[in-house]
Amino acid sequence: MTSAQCPTCRKASATRKTNAAFPFCSARCKTVDLGKWLNEEYRVPAGATGESGEGDESGTSDGNVPTGSSDRELS
Amino acid sequence: MTEPSSTTATVASPSAAPAANYGTESITVLEGLEAVRKRPGMYIGDVHDGSGLHHLVWEVVDNAVDEHLGGFCSLMNVTIHFDGSITVEDNGRGIPVGRHADMSKKLGHDIDTAEVVMTILHAGGKFDHSSYKVSAGLHGVGVSAVNAVSEQLKLEIRRDGHVHFQEYRRGAAVSKIEIIGDTDKKGTKITFKPDTEIFTITEFSYDILANRLRELSFLNAGFVITLTDERGEGRKEVFEYQGGVREFVELLNKAKEPVHDKVVYILAEQVPEAGGAPMVVELALQWNSSYAEQIFPYTNNIHNKDGGTHLTGFKGALTRVFNNYGASANLFKEVKNGLTGEDIREGLTAVISVKIPDPSFSSQTKDKLVTSEVKSVVENVVTDKLGQFFEENPSTARKIMEKAVLAAKAREAARKAREVVRKSAMDYTTLSGKLADCQSKDPAQCELYIVEGDSAGGSAKQGRDRKFQAILPLRGKILNVERARLDKMLGSAEIGTLITALGCGIGTPEQGGSFDINKLRYHQIVLMTDADVDGSHIRTLLLTFFYRQMPEIIERGYLYIAQPPLYRVWRGKKALYMKDQGALDRFFLEQGVDGLAVRASRGPTLSGEPLVRLAERLRTFRKALQRIDRRADAQIVAAVIRASGLGKNELRERKKVETAVPLIRARLEQLYPDIFPLGIDVGWETEHGAATITITPRTGSAARPVTIDWNLVESAEYEELYAIEQDVRSIGPAPYFAKVVKKGDADDETGTGATAKETELADADALWAFIDARGHKGWNLTRYKGLGEMNPEQLWETTLDPNARVMLQVRLDDAVQTDQIFSILMGDQVEPRREFIEQNALNVRNLDI
Repeated sequence: MTSAQCPTCRKASATRKTNAAFPFCSARCKTVDLGKWLNEEYRVPAGATGESGEGDESGTSDGNVPTGSSDRELS
Repeated sequence: MTEPSSTTATVASPSAAPAANYGTESITVLEGLEAVRKRPGMYIGDVHDGSGLHHLVWEVVDNAVDEHLGGFCSLMNVTIHFDGSITVEDNGRGIPVGRHADMSKKLGHDIDTAEVVMTILHAGGKFDHSSYKVSAGLHGVGVSAVNAVSEQLKLEIRRDGHVHFQEYRRGAAVSKIEIIGDTDKKGTKITFKPDTEIFTITEFSYDILANRLRELSFLNAGFVITLTDERGEGRKEVFEYQGGVREFVELLNKAKEPVHDKVVYILAEQVPEAGGAPMVVELALQWNSSYAEQIFPYTNNIHNKDGGTHLTGFKGALTRVFNNYGASANLFKEVKNGLTGEDIREGLTAVISVKIPDPSFSSQTKDKLVTSEVKSVVENVVTDKLGQFFEENPSTARKIMEKAVLAAKAREAARKAREVVRKSAMDYTTLSGKLADCQSKDPAQCELYIVEGDSAGGSAKQGRDRKFQAILPLRGKILNVERARLDKMLGSAEIGTLITALGCGIGTPEQGGSFDINKLRYHQIVLMTDADVDGSHIRTLLLTFFYRQMPEIIERGYLYIAQPPLYRVWRGKKALYMKDQGALDRFFLEQGVDGLAVRASRGPTLSGEPLVRLAERLRTFRKALQRIDRRADAQIVAAVIRASGLGKNELRERKKVETAVPLIRARLEQLYPDIFPLGIDVGWETEHGAATITITPRTGSAARPVTIDWNLVESAEYEELYAIEQDVRSIGPAPYFAKVVKKGDADDETGTGATAKETELADADALWAFIDARGHKGWNLTRYKGLGEMNPEQLWETTLDPNARVMLQVRLDDAVQTDQIFSILMGDQVEPRREFIEQNALNVRNLDI
């Protein structure tokens, strides 16, 4: 890892060695990011309503096995 | 040589054109000179630290600058001589010469005007505005003070066609002023040598002189100033800035990164509302990417380091213009309360220069301008002209505004961070209700488990070792974004709790933050989230937070990810945990071959590790078949491979293809009689010289037609199947015989191994089915949907116990990838985000670090 893109302003950020604000380009941009966390602006999807959003069943054999309640397989 | 008597009328009438007659009568005498030598500090400043010494130059220079301001002078040369004397020469009008009537009367003998200027304190043309509209000088003493403290002073005046000369020693004239020659030039030349009886330091600093002269030339566009140093090796600089304060700002921003290319320049002359002489307001502004504010206010070329009314007017106008423009351009969506002056002035480099008659300052040192009318004049000019500039240069305006908006956001963020930290620190009961802390206080010993969900948190609190393990349950906040979509986030209260629990503060100290890694209370911080998509998203969120706001924690290797098992398999009292699907598959497979021996109809008997490998190949074959089903009917393809062994090479050999076709037909008939009658056609293509075998099942049967051609055979899926088939063939031809030689786990109730009979298995598929079934036999399987399904003991056994758990240490470059994933999850654009989630929903483990 050499350099990165500043998550706030998208400009190039200097490496961690020379840049205490890494991965941000500046302390300013880092602070703006902190503001977003505290303002609850960062969200990740929590699936669709009523659907878990998880992997579907992929049907290999295993049919004769008594399994627990949720023995889905992830492909 | 005296001026015509009409000048008297000029002085009497302020409305008449000033400055035209700068003659003997406009000199007023205020006070004597003797005191200067006795108490030089009072008049010219400190004689010991060099400031008084350089002040002498400013007194003389200012006279030339005033001539320039009046429009009479375009050049000034300042020379430092080898003997420590200084010459200041200008091409102004020249100090008036001729008998000074008032002073001659007062003194009782004739005295020349120039001599009055040089010898009488506070004598000069600057105390009435008829000679000078504005004046830079007015240091209060004038050139006579310079004369008083000079060992020697030579005065040379070019005026009225003659060169006038006079010499002084310690303020006293050595001779009368006399005409020593003729000239068609104008100007004043003064050479003086500071008196060593008065100054302890008499060495002029080139840099001090150069800086001030450069400044003067910036402030007076077009005024050409030359500085020559004749000492030592010699040095010469010409300061000439046609751009004036614009160039000054450019120079100040030279080492910085400007936000916009063009310096904003304003020049206006305005009469105050109350009337009076017009004031000249000149401004140059440019923002750079730094946070520092650099504003240099000047009044009549004098720097006012404490600002004053011009600065106040400027700041007020700036704030007004920005807020008006931002509001009308709709740029304040993210800053509710608008911009403050600090937000706007962050990174601003500005020079404000006002030229006004009769300025008032708060002190003798002129550090602060107090002339009140200046405020509204500057305010009006800036509001007008900057507003106009923004309208005319929208892209520059936007860049400048964006910077201010960012500053406002950061200010708001820093404030909020302090508030959150303060609040959560004060509200210790909330923390103690959430955090189950450990007994040890040694950070190196202490572990903090950040557990998503309350039920899992509860189990973890019961299951942990409270000596060194602390548990902090965190709950993602669910948000209904659209009708069909939910979002999850970390509430600010949760982040506050996390920060308080960690104990290391938050925010970069440069921006008023408090983060200090040395105060971190735990050196092992373990993220424990469910092993599903939701859990991985929450983990991504937390990792991103650490990476962005506390990278030191990752850098030092303090951050870990717990690896709770995904499966529990049990039979009777025996229970095992499997971390993922791969481990589970391997377990069942090993169970399936445990104590088993397999042989083909001809060939060696396999058991142990070679048999495990064979079983793995068979399982892989099944999985590869599933994949190829998208290209062609998997069962038919399997039959083709098993029956014919056709690969890339064989498909290009007519003979092998011809042999293969009846074998394929026989195999399919045996396995799937319901797809008969069946057509098998062979064609040949020229591009690869390969056969195209088309297999057409009976119309109405469930099977799809299959084309075995070059494209299929060279596909990765087919090649894998082909390779496995070659491996399987290497153990010998079907049928296979399986025999339990040693009692395995699966054979508990099937009697003794020694007498167990061999099971005949028709082909490789049947062999796999046998091993698979044997492996699963008797085992129960639970897939943990979430951590909450584990009881405290299970959680301890699998995830908390340092001797049994598996944890992944997060490294900084892992975190970079996480941030990228996060950025996609965060993306404003709905499409890439949806696409990403759909692609990764099936591939949860890919999100893992």
